[in-house]
Amino acid sequence: MSPSQQPSSPNPTHLKIRFARRFLRALNNLNITKTSPDDDDDGENRVYRRSRRVKIAAYTAMASVVGSRRAWSRAVLWKVRNRSRNRSLLSVRPRRKRVDCKITNNDHDHAKVFVRRRNPNPKRDPFRDSGQVLKLRKLVPGAETMDSWCLMDETADYIKCLAAQVEVMKTLVDLYTTT
Amino acid sequence: MSSRRSRSRQSTTSSRISDDQINDLVSKLQQLLPEIRNRCSDKVSASKVLQETCNYIKSLHQEVDDLSERLSELLENTDSTQASIIRSLLTQ
Repeated sequence: MSPSQQPSSPNPTHLKIRFARRFLRALNNLNITKTSPDDDDDGENRVYRRSRRVKIAAYTAMASVVGSRRAWSRAVLWKVRNRSRNRSLLSVRPRRKRVDCKITNNDHDHAKVFVRRRNPNPKRDPFRDSGQVLKLRKLVPGAETMDSWCLMDETADYIKCLAAQVEVMKTLVDLYTTT
Repeated sequence: MSSRRSRSRQSTTSSRISDDQINDLVSKLQQLLPEIRNRCSDKVSASKVLQETCNYIKSLHQEVDDLSERLSELLENTDSTQASIIRSLLTQ
């Protein structure tokens, strides 16, 4: 980790600029213009695949700006990396996401045991088994393996970054619509 | 990688976390939620904050989905030279 990295996102404007740069670079590489080679797909499938690629680019851009200092960004990057690895092995799309989930679930089981052992007094954790926490764990990437304190911290950072990314995307949509 | 180590150290101390720290985390989270940001923190329960957090993340995910679809449409229909000009302007 380089010393210039801050523990948390300090300046929202600065963050947005960095997200925008990364995202635009990724979009550039996607090359979603009319001349793309995968035009032989049927219409609906093609639209779906393209918007999915843009979506993945958005999350990846966000996570790679944050880098490895956050658990959620590590989880996103790991998932994306695994996705492209699986893709090179399987040329068809047999629900890749499910494979990813299986792996994380296994990790999750291990970590659960680990956390339980580490935390000698689980009653001190007021959010422990509440439904909201379980819901939150499904929404924040990599949250399956965190304890509640970590989860809250990661959630706060994730929300900040996600909101910034949404604004970046809105700005881009506006830019492309007006030109 | 040092962050991972410090994080696990952090969680070993989690059993010793005080009520103040709980409230601190909850109110920090509350500040990020537009729905309940301006409400007095005494009036909002922790579970309400968590519920709003879930809703907010879901709505942000939905927005990313919608915007991705919109962007991919726009990129497809934009003339490639025009698009690259915009990109180069923004990536300066």
